Amino acid sequence: MMVWLALALAYAGLTALALGMKRHHQSLLGAKPSDARLRAFRVTGWALIALMLLCCLRLWPLGLALSLAFGLATLAGLPLIFLLPYRPRLAARLALALPLAAGVGVWVV
Amino acid sequence: MSRSASSRLFYYRLSVASRTVAAVLGGYALSAASTAALAVTLPMPRAEAVVSATVFSFLVYSGAVIWAFATHSALRAWLGIAAPTVVCVAVALLGAPS
Amino acid sequence: MKNSLRQSMAWLHTWSGLLLGWLLLAMFVTGTSAYFREEISLWMEPELHASHATPETPELAWQALNRLAPDARAWDIRLPDARAPVVELGWQPDTPEAQNEGRRRGERAIMDAATGEILTPRATRGGDFLYRFHFELYGVPRLWARWLVCVATMFMLVAIISGVITHKKIFKDFFTFRPGKGQRSWLDAHNATAVLALPFHFMITYSGLLLFMVMLMPWGIDAAYNGDRRAFFDDAFPRATETTAQSQEAAPMTDIAPLLAQTRRAFDQPVTRIEVNRPNRAGATVSISTDREPEITGRRRGSAPTLVFQANSGALLETRPGTSEALPAAVRFYNLFANLHLARFADPAVRWLFFLSGLGGCAMVATGLLLWVAKRTQQLKQRQPGASLRLVNALNMASMTGLIGAMAFYFAANRLLPVELAQRESWEIRVFFISWLLSLAHALWRPNRRGWIEQLAGITVLWLSVPLLDMATTGSHLFSATAWQHGALAGFDLACLLLGALWGYALWRVARHGGGKKGTARQPRRSPGTATGAAS
Repeated sequence: MMVWLALALAYAGLTALALGMKRHHQSLLGAKPSDARLRAFRVTGWALIALMLLCCLRLWPLGLALSLAFGLATLAGLPLIFLLPYRPRLAARLALALPLAAGVGVWVV
Repeated sequence: MSRSASSRLFYYRLSVASRTVAAVLGGYALSAASTAALAVTLPMPRAEAVVSATVFSFLVYSGAVIWAFATHSALRAWLGIAAPTVVCVAVALLGAPS
Repeated sequence: MKNSLRQSMAWLHTWSGLLLGWLLLAMFVTGTSAYFREEISLWMEPELHASHATPETPELAWQALNRLAPDARAWDIRLPDARAPVVELGWQPDTPEAQNEGRRRGERAIMDAATGEILTPRATRGGDFLYRFHFELYGVPRLWARWLVCVATMFMLVAIISGVITHKKIFKDFFTFRPGKGQRSWLDAHNATAVLALPFHFMITYSGLLLFMVMLMPWGIDAAYNGDRRAFFDDAFPRATETTAQSQEAAPMTDIAPLLAQTRRAFDQPVTRIEVNRPNRAGATVSISTDREPEITGRRRGSAPTLVFQANSGALLETRPGTSEALPAAVRFYNLFANLHLARFADPAVRWLFFLSGLGGCAMVATGLLLWVAKRTQQLKQRQPGASLRLVNALNMASMTGLIGAMAFYFAANRLLPVELAQRESWEIRVFFISWLLSLAHALWRPNRRGWIEQLAGITVLWLSVPLLDMATTGSHLFSATAWQHGALAGFDLACLLLGALWGYALWRVARHGGGKKGTARQPRRSPGTATGAAS
């Protein structure tokens, strides 16, 4: 279950990083962002990535955890890239829903 | 006019060919020489020095290829690869176990 | 020669990419399949599918070797694990000839883990053929093939570095994909698959070189060891030396079951391997090993937790805890990359992660090749494509749909060729290459959009029919008990269906969207992600 949480966090983190960029922010949320907002999204994004790393460290020994964290980020990033042009709203909603669902899953199981 | 254009094309192709040789063969010579030099000079146990030097060699090769195509002229490409190769060969020969 | 670093790097990236792209793609596709090499092999040997591990399996193996080779020099029993449901029995005959042939020679047999019966699977190279192809090709002298593959790998490393330099806004464009813009979309798809999986691409390329470093770069060894490679290996990658008792005096061995239980208790892991030295003689020893904890910088072989017993009395001789000894940093670095490349530590989930990353690599190379064509097609405006463009497009087709189709033919041949056919395993491989050649001929004959549509339709049908063929010939299917008893079989069928669906989706995109433009090549490869790049 923890793997899924890590994957969901990677997805959410990358989405937040995308929201921290002007071009994607506009297409995802439809509003012109202020610089402070962009920065807030970037900080959130990195924080989520850090959380994902923590999950990986709980799952695997250090070397493996770092290597697989890259793999998970890749796996989470590819759907994001191809959702952004077609279903931007869905991409943003998933970033909220997936970590919540995975978090509940970890808590329940 | 067209003659100068075609001769320029000829020199361009010659330059590409020369750089390619410098990159592929020269790059290999440089990485081989640097591996040998590092293997005998790195201040660590012998096996470790060899592994470190060999592991590093592929990055040297990439660097050499990129240098060969990135620098201004084919001559500089050759010099930039040949000079360090000579140095490394000298170091390897001096440092080699007798 | 060029104005700027970026331009010259773009030039280098484009041309080295084109020249070696086809070979790299074939390496990536077959190499990606190699993450499931054992699963593919199992699928291709249906005679083994009924086997499954039971608590009595180790003793059955013990009895089988007592029956088959009671006076061998050594025994080696590999018990079933998550990836292989059978027991592999190995033994070294105690004859002078057998000893002269070196350590690796020996007899092998496959045993049914439930019944103890010796199985004879159909002759096939299985997943090993695809695995070997990815680094030594086929029918080419091994050394030449390896050098060729390594040259391609080296240039992949150069292409990665030059690609990063070429990419203008690598972080700004990190999430950018603009569909429906022809060449621009292919470039975005190429960038996305390349940049996002960059750590994987770098790892797989660099480690591929490291695995062959002694062949490629022996000069450090030669300089530091005066060419004595054996001495280098003994220093850098020491092996445990075996102590061999030499007695010929027959003596019965103790019951194996308590020793197995003791080992299981000692390490709290199931037993995976039993090795016996001088079985059924005085002074026989038995080493019982369990799985080891995955350790990514550890050694590739050996060092599994092991108990060594005196086999006649059952006395414990030695405990090897299997914790990895402190390795030098450089060796750990090498091990890290080698283990990652080979996914040695991987549980099934991680194996899938590597497989998907491998598909990402396929997609990156394929989109790069398609981009080359798309760019030049766009420059044509309304003119007819020249011979070289048609040739490149045909080679693209053969290297993508052709290879994928050939793999399906390989799997199908495994089920359709008669089991008793002479040289059966070679025939499977011949089917693979003949179908690949036919696809090249077809691609040269119809190098345009029609060609892509026909080949995509072909591979869709082929991949979707492999599970059907499996069901028709072995009775195993996605909903059968055998398939789920060994996840590998269900996984294989499922993967065929999913990939078949993916080719079908690509076909649909090309057929529906490709018509407007000069449709030479705009069909995606191998990753659901890039499939969306097909819009034009």
